[in-house]
Amino acid sequence: MIAHLNHILIFKTNIDCPEAREKLRPVLDAHSAIRQWSVDLHDCDCVLRVISETLKPDDIIAMANAHGFECSELE
Amino acid sequence: MRTRNTDKEKIVREKAVELLLKEGFEGFSVNKLAKLCAISVATLYIYYKDKDDLILKVAIGELQKMNDMMLTDFDPELPFEEGLRIQWKNRARYLQDNPTSMLFMEKLRNSTYQEKVFENTMTGFKTAMSRFMQNAVKRGEINPMPVEVFWAIAYGPLYTLARFDNENKSLMGKPFTLSNKILWQTFDFVIKALKNKT
Repeated sequence: MIAHLNHILIFKTNIDCPEAREKLRPVLDAHSAIRQWSVDLHDCDCVLRVISETLKPDDIIAMANAHGFECSELE
Repeated sequence: MRTRNTDKEKIVREKAVELLLKEGFEGFSVNKLAKLCAISVATLYIYYKDKDDLILKVAIGELQKMNDMMLTDFDPELPFEEGLRIQWKNRARYLQDNPTSMLFMEKLRNSTYQEKVFENTMTGFKTAMSRFMQNAVKRGEINPMPVEVFWAIAYGPLYTLARFDNENKSLMGKPFTLSNKILWQTFDFVIKALKNKT
């Protein structure tokens, strides 16, 4: 299913290795409002991509920050 | 003016192929692609999950395009010579209209993406091609032979000429352009080699 474009949130992060990504996995996987998420470890901006109908960018940023990661919306 | 999304997608695909050829799979990045397409990185990430996803989707799109073009006017039930002539026409046109495509396919074949891309695409094309060959054998138009032998003789010469044309030179740097005359002259030799006398 194609997600509604407004429901795809894109962030620049410093999640730059599989270990870092795994640290976030439990919280993002378990979140009921997150339909899908991924981190592009090959990209210099380590882009975090989240699909959610209800969450706002700030919610995701807070979650990442709480786990010690930098995270800002990618323009 | 706002462009339609399908146009944008086409631009992204073309530029991605261009960038992959220039930088290789390692050097390719979403950032560089965004810059080349004059769109934002974020926009690309809306449509593609990550670099791998982008490369896969672009490759599958290119293969689909090739698939459709090669099957134009083609029917595996056609008599051998007529069918092969249409294949030569379609493939020559495809290679001339998409000079980067052959290089891209070559790169893809030698990459880790190969399995994922070639296994699940072009099934219509693959079925049509093997049926075409089987029909020709069944009708006694050609002798049974391993598919690699068939391909090497039926299409190998065309791809060699296309490569010369692509590089604008042939043996030992001699200038070369693939003309219709040369194309169909070669085709006649191929038919002579493969087709049984009736």
